[in-house]
Amino acid sequence: MTELISQALYSGLLQGGSYALIALGLALVFGTMRVINLAHGELVLLAAYIAYTVESSYGLNPIFAIPVALVIVCLTSVAVYFLVGMVKVDRELNSLILTYGIGIMLSNAMLLIWKADVRSSSSSWFQEAFVVGPLFSMRSELLFFAISVVILVALWWWLSRSWYGRALRAVSSNRDAAKLMGIAPAYTELVSFVVAGVLASFAGVALYSYGVIQPAYGNVLTVKAFIITVLAGVGSIPGVLLGAILLGVAEALTVTLASSALQELVGMMLFLLVLFVMPSGLFGAVRRRG
Amino acid sequence: MLDFGRAGTLDPGGASMLKLEGVSVRFGGLSALSDVTLSVGSHEVVGLVGPNGAGKTTLFNAISGLVKPTGGRILFNEVDVMRTPLYRRARLGIGRTFQIPQPMHELSVRENLLVAQRFGTGQVDRTRLDEILDFTGLAGKAGCDAATELALTELKALEVAKALATQPKLLLLDEVLAGLETHGKRRFMTMLKELHTAFSVGILIIEHDIETINALCERVAVLNFGKLIADGTPAQVFADPAVIESYTGAAHA
Amino acid sequence: MKTGHSGALLGLLVLAYGVVPMLWGHDPYVMSLLVAALIIGGVALPWALLGNLGGMVSFGHSAFFGVGAYTSAILSMKCAVPVSAAIVLGGVGAWLASLVMLPVLRLKGPYFALAILAYARIFEIIATEWSGLTGGSGGISSIPTVPVAFGFDFGSKLGSYLLILTIVLLFACAYWALRRSHYGIALRAMRESEDATRVVGVNSTLLKSMMLFVSAFMTGIVGAFNAHYINFLEPDYAFNGVWVMLPIVAAIFGGYRTIVGPLIGAVVVYLVDQLIFKSLLPSGHQLVLGALLVAMIIFSPRGLLTLAQRPFRRRQHA
Repeated sequence: MTELISQALYSGLLQGGSYALIALGLALVFGTMRVINLAHGELVLLAAYIAYTVESSYGLNPIFAIPVALVIVCLTSVAVYFLVGMVKVDRELNSLILTYGIGIMLSNAMLLIWKADVRSSSSSWFQEAFVVGPLFSMRSELLFFAISVVILVALWWWLSRSWYGRALRAVSSNRDAAKLMGIAPAYTELVSFVVAGVLASFAGVALYSYGVIQPAYGNVLTVKAFIITVLAGVGSIPGVLLGAILLGVAEALTVTLASSALQELVGMMLFLLVLFVMPSGLFGAVRRRG
Repeated sequence: MLDFGRAGTLDPGGASMLKLEGVSVRFGGLSALSDVTLSVGSHEVVGLVGPNGAGKTTLFNAISGLVKPTGGRILFNEVDVMRTPLYRRARLGIGRTFQIPQPMHELSVRENLLVAQRFGTGQVDRTRLDEILDFTGLAGKAGCDAATELALTELKALEVAKALATQPKLLLLDEVLAGLETHGKRRFMTMLKELHTAFSVGILIIEHDIETINALCERVAVLNFGKLIADGTPAQVFADPAVIESYTGAAHA
Repeated sequence: MKTGHSGALLGLLVLAYGVVPMLWGHDPYVMSLLVAALIIGGVALPWALLGNLGGMVSFGHSAFFGVGAYTSAILSMKCAVPVSAAIVLGGVGAWLASLVMLPVLRLKGPYFALAILAYARIFEIIATEWSGLTGGSGGISSIPTVPVAFGFDFGSKLGSYLLILTIVLLFACAYWALRRSHYGIALRAMRESEDATRVVGVNSTLLKSMMLFVSAFMTGIVGAFNAHYINFLEPDYAFNGVWVMLPIVAAIFGGYRTIVGPLIGAVVVYLVDQLIFKSLLPSGHQLVLGALLVAMIIFSPRGLLTLAQRPFRRRQHA
């Protein structure tokens, strides 16, 4: 029994890496623009499908899809940014509906191009088991977890040291004060969308490499990212990673101990639990009015 | 001129309508109010003064229910209202104006009063609504959009009108005169002088201007750093050295 | 009500109850299109009501639709409840589902919208897993149709059309009455100045809860009606995202601030989607709907129909 549980913990931990990337992309954009990009999951999925195309049409390892995904997904992300900027009335709620509509467009576009079948990577190198003590994982899971951690550390460093990073945090906490200091919020917002695209690209390729994808999955991803953001609070990167791991572990445990159908349910329950019991999130401050 | 024929603060008809007993409010490490004990009779006009940041608005927030005290008791007509939610305190008879006017958006002036009356008293009385509009000088602006078409004086008048529409027994006036120019101030003063007799309310009023306090209030309470440092007639209170010191600072002692 | 408006409304009623049945009452294809459009309208209207009066945008109305559908189907099949009563109880079931959502009310904007979405997913998963009650992912079939009443077969295509039309119009009347009432006025103020209303005695939490209840109840009834109309249910259908998306597109297209807007929007959007978009793009036609939604939010967030009304209004104010 303990082996099952420790295996579940391990798998959940590895899954948490990609989840963290997805959640951070959503959180960054929300932090600077106060907009929740409901199409964010679709961006991740887009990267995943690009990985699929690279593998199935060109026979290359999905890793090579990353540069292509970066370009395409970041461009799409920037397009979303411009569309959001065009919303004049009732910004907060209308941009929700806007990104919701964009999400529908993207998932249907993916449905048209890649059809509804479930896809996953067929790379044997990826799927080869990699054993650490009694714990086993696919090579892809471990590889992408390592990549996620590297990216998270790099992001953390960048946000705390670079000029852009500091500007991003300034706009997040006080937009008007930031303007007075000569920071152009529009520029930092654009940067946050680009960074979100970068994170989504890596997460998407990871997802394809060790998981399964289908066009309807984008919605589920967005919701998971949102759940993690609420769990962690829109404050800290370590918080997001911990929240992501928590979700990954909860899901893995549910699959092991109960059934895989209830996997999504546990995420939702956690989400609602945190909303009611610990409104500031587990690790940070969730900004909510009223 | 207001009739202060009744001596003292206890009136056989009114008793002490509002009783604050040892009320304290803490925000984290900051003590906004410490152990405040104060009472307001049902026919009294009591002034509340003190330097900025003394806790006057916090006291109002505690009485009206926007803030939950960390200690003490608040009794309204002998009933403990500490657990009573905000909206129910209004129905019990605690009316309040805000220093920065908060009109109800997307409604006309008349609709503002209508909502206040309908939900604050449970009934609609159009005649009384019109009386309040006349009294506060808003009759001509009854159809205007409350949030976008009123000048500051009118917004302040609306604050009072809204509170009056709930048929309060206690009226908390938070710096209604602040920011008004002389003409508006004079009109308001006349209105405030007639308020307590025309509508039989007890009034607790925050003001900075000593002249205003002298003209309106039979009693004054002074707050400093969240503590009540004086409570008596204006003459007594403004001669009190502790009060003078709180306003001018120790440097002048 | 302005005379121009009441004239137009009367005309619409004559059209809906008189002209349409006369011309197309025996055409099952047209009737089924209209019934489906009105079902969408029947969800769009309570969605808009929750947004306008309650100030809450929901992405989870499929929860109420699905719960209403399942409640009614199960009651009529396993407890021998007559269909008409079952439909009303479907609304009650959806109302009960909304009770569970009450804690979410104190959340603002996006948090509310997504929390409701989470609830919708939860209900769907419950419907899939609790197969003893709901038939699981296989679903329930042979759900009874609405029976004959007063000598008229409400189970027929024409009968269904008239029934859903009446239901939707009753909703519209209720919405109108609510909006004009004192509650409606207070709710209007609550959108941007909730504290100001509370200070004068408005129990804003209660009012918002009631709007959630009304919206849920209405949507539940429509979901229940749909179950007895198509006689089949499965979780993927009953809780499908299309019951979220189409009503939103319909409401925004027709103008979500008005009462008839969502209804007219539903008819137009659904017909255009089925007749035009679907034939162009059979498998991705929702893409066009998404694009339409995006375009509308950017260029005309108050709805395209309100754009058409502008020259009319200018004359009135001249």
